[in-house]
Amino acid sequence: MLDELSRNRARSGFTPSETALSVFSLKEAVYELVTEAADLVPEYLAFSLMIDDLGLRTIETYSAAREQIISDQAASMLELSTPVVRLWDGIIAVPIVGTLDSARTQLVMEKLLETLVATGADHAVIDITGVPTVDTEVAQHLLKTVSAARLLGAECTISGIRPQVAQTIVSLGIEFGDIATKATLADALALALRQAGLKVVQS
Amino acid sequence: MEQVPILKIGQTLFVSIQIDLQDESVLRLQEDLAEELAATSARGVIIDITAVEIVDSFIGRMLAMIGQISRLFDAETVIVGMRPAVAITLTELGLSLSGVRTALNAEKGLAILNGRA
Amino acid sequence: MDELPIQTGDDVVRIRQHVRNAAAASGLSLVDQTKLVTAASELARNTLIHGGGGVVRVEVVKSAVGRNGVRLHFADEGPGIPDVDLALTDGWTSGSGLGLGLSGSRRLVDEFELKSEPGLGTNVVVVKWSR
Repeated sequence: MLDELSRNRARSGFTPSETALSVFSLKEAVYELVTEAADLVPEYLAFSLMIDDLGLRTIETYSAAREQIISDQAASMLELSTPVVRLWDGIIAVPIVGTLDSARTQLVMEKLLETLVATGADHAVIDITGVPTVDTEVAQHLLKTVSAARLLGAECTISGIRPQVAQTIVSLGIEFGDIATKATLADALALALRQAGLKVVQS
Repeated sequence: MEQVPILKIGQTLFVSIQIDLQDESVLRLQEDLAEELAATSARGVIIDITAVEIVDSFIGRMLAMIGQISRLFDAETVIVGMRPAVAITLTELGLSLSGVRTALNAEKGLAILNGRA
Repeated sequence: MDELPIQTGDDVVRIRQHVRNAAAASGLSLVDQTKLVTAASELARNTLIHGGGGVVRVEVVKSAVGRNGVRLHFADEGPGIPDVDLALTDGWTSGSGLGLGLSGSRRLVDEFELKSEPGLGTNVVVVKWSR
């Protein structure tokens, strides 16, 4: 019951001290009664210790509730910053903005694959223009993502290779093997259209 | 031990794995497919794993082997309908199933087989 | 906690189902459930084929911060693994599958503990937490 109270107060914006203080105020109420009867002091001490415990408990519950809020928000942010868009019939794109760590890679893979199934797309473009650094770890994440998409029959192109990134990749000895890589999303789209046997014609 | 049925439609063998297979059943499937390929003039094999929830390294390797076996009979195998969760797990396990074609569904799988000369 | 035998191929199938149920009940996402069940399948197969049979203990656990998780303990009294370090190597790109599936399973779970000694059998404990 105290946990519930504490959680609700955390959500309402009370600080943990405020909640704890209201618990501690119970001591004051009881103290009034003790001043009348000295033989109750030992009991009062036990009662006081118990109230201290409860007070600490409200603070712990408050912390846990805040932790949950923070982690929920972090998950939301990750979700929102990983959109999967449809470029054309059968061609989808995942623009990745920000660092590509394992958590984001998991999310990218899940969303990319779900979208492949939902749209029946055969081609996915993974754009890394917004990824600040591409080191061996990031390259591994990209390779994993492409590998997973291929298991669903989709071909992948990585776009957004900036000149500096290209130099870093080569100097680190990273090999993208048979995965096509392009400088811009536009180039990748052109490649995907070509592979799909489509042509853009001026009318 | 369950025996997975193999359907022959035209020049293609169709296999649909519907249940959680025991190791022996997968081995049996491999044997049965090899026999069917040898006995018929099938040019393609479609293995539908839409209903398969778990593909571990053993099953993964068996699927890759089926691909290699079919090629010995000048046939191509396409694995279709892999679930996203399964694909992500296989990738984490380090199995790329290279050597076997994959497609989203049987229709696309057939398109790949028919695209062959 | 449930203890399940690992003596036949059917047992491995049963274990997959059981672990799936425990994972779902603990609130693991679909992908995490799949990873855990796949790891369980690998480890159960190892116990059966290399360990000469054994048991698995499936337990639902709670972390210090209150998250749910599933803990699996595979135990056998088989010959044990002579070189644990070697058995655990196998970069994710090799995929030749000749190893014991241990290194692969390790990547699928959050916590992985392996104790094995020739003559004393093998014990593998893995935990996967919900997010």
